[in-house]
Amino acid sequence: MAASLSSMTTLSAPRPVRLLNISNPYSSPSHVRLLPCTASRYTRLVVRSTPSEIANKVSESIKNAEETCADDPKAGECVAAWDEVEELSAAASHARDKNKGKDPLEEYCKDNPETDECRTYED
Amino acid sequence: MAICTVHTTPSLSMPNTHLNQRQVIFFTSARKNQFFRGQNRAFTVSCSADAKTVVIGLAADSGCGKSTFMRRLTSVFGGAAEPPKGGNPDSNTLISDTTTVICLDDYHSLDRTGRKEKGVTALDPKANDFDLMYEQVKALKEGKAVDKPIYNHVTGLLDPPEVIQPPKILVIEGLHPMFDERVRDLLDFSIYLDISNEVKFAWKIQRDMAERGHSLESIKASIEARKPDFDAFIDPQKKYADAVIEVLPTQLIPGDNEGKVLRVRLIQKEGLKHFSPVYLFDEGSTISWIPCGRKLTCSYPGIKFTYGPETYFSNEVSVLEMDGQFDRLDELIYVESHLSNLSSKFYGEVTQQMLKHSDFPGSNNGTGLFQTIIGLKIRDLYEQIVAERAAATAQAAKV
Repeated sequence: MAASLSSMTTLSAPRPVRLLNISNPYSSPSHVRLLPCTASRYTRLVVRSTPSEIANKVSESIKNAEETCADDPKAGECVAAWDEVEELSAAASHARDKNKGKDPLEEYCKDNPETDECRTYED
Repeated sequence: MAICTVHTTPSLSMPNTHLNQRQVIFFTSARKNQFFRGQNRAFTVSCSADAKTVVIGLAADSGCGKSTFMRRLTSVFGGAAEPPKGGNPDSNTLISDTTTVICLDDYHSLDRTGRKEKGVTALDPKANDFDLMYEQVKALKEGKAVDKPIYNHVTGLLDPPEVIQPPKILVIEGLHPMFDERVRDLLDFSIYLDISNEVKFAWKIQRDMAERGHSLESIKASIEARKPDFDAFIDPQKKYADAVIEVLPTQLIPGDNEGKVLRVRLIQKEGLKHFSPVYLFDEGSTISWIPCGRKLTCSYPGIKFTYGPETYFSNEVSVLEMDGQFDRLDELIYVESHLSNLSSKFYGEVTQQMLKHSDFPGSNNGTGLFQTIIGLKIRDLYEQIVAERAAATAQAAKV
């Protein structure tokens, strides 16, 4: 199990394996995947990583803003530079949130629903 | 969207007084209607083209919880909101069955390079095209599709436009939904998220500290640099909002500066047609309520509620305030059972919505609670407006 999921940057806390997601009483999953690897959501500690493209942009813009503001902190260019930093940080945060939800198993099963790992059983 | 009714017309030759609405007339041949003795039956389907979109405006600074609010709001209406399929992957728009969320950053007239050259921030009205914003929101409200530009936050450029179909509910979120007077008049309901400086700082630290290159100083410098423009252009919009969610540091823990426990105030404008404010126990009176006691045990620092009428920028408002956080499900349901005028469809709906999104930030304090309540209020507002329009159409049809 660990081998196939090693590409994910997640750490799952040691917990008895559950087949049903019963952590949320109000969600009603009518079908379950009988693959024990998909432990319930709350046992995963996700290490959030920003996609490198945006992360680079953020650090560059910070350096740029610090340089521009070294001359004159009140100038329009300085303010605009810090605004750019803010905008890119927000974009980075959104990108992290988007990636957080992605489950490699679900992604794989979207493309290959007929494989053994992706068989579903209706209750 | 159209509301259509089918009825039989006795004869096509008879003058129909309500033909100002677009009508489709189905004429069935005599052979099929042998049972009606050769009489030609005609069925008229009349649709009122007046069912216009309901427009909601949401204003807040960057990093203040607009996206979380949007996700809660679209969840109340049902269905997941996703970016338009098959379009630009960096599109800011979210579409669900009933709702479309448009990010007002798409109406930037200057892209990132343009703003750098001119030395203006995105907060400055000079960087935004309010004429286009007004035109397109008006068109969508009237039920026409538009070609909306896309502002790509990653590259900082303006991408080719995407087509937006008029939805049942249109939400415009961004920095300036209430800045321009014409756009303000199009809004059926408006919300402003007012985050105090200390809390904003704490949230931005949480968001950015893990980011390579950021440090405490850079985060602080960024906030300070944007503050003048924010105070001049964004903050004044709060006096126009129908509901303001104000987030302040807690008063329950003396000297707390972590910003984990929050004091959240829901400021609701009185006297609005389709919006009846949430209240505690007795509408119009001043109440202070600590639910923790014999029936309910809370952990430190507990929960404190206040409710009362106030004046906000010379408007009559009712303020519901929550200080503290929820630790357990039963605290939430206990609180919900004592609030009135929630516009929920069943007992426990607020709790259910909060639980559904327990991983969202703010799910254990007033921000999540009030955002969910506002979501239910907007649903109620939408249903009232639709019922009103249907009644008006029925009246017109009777005449």
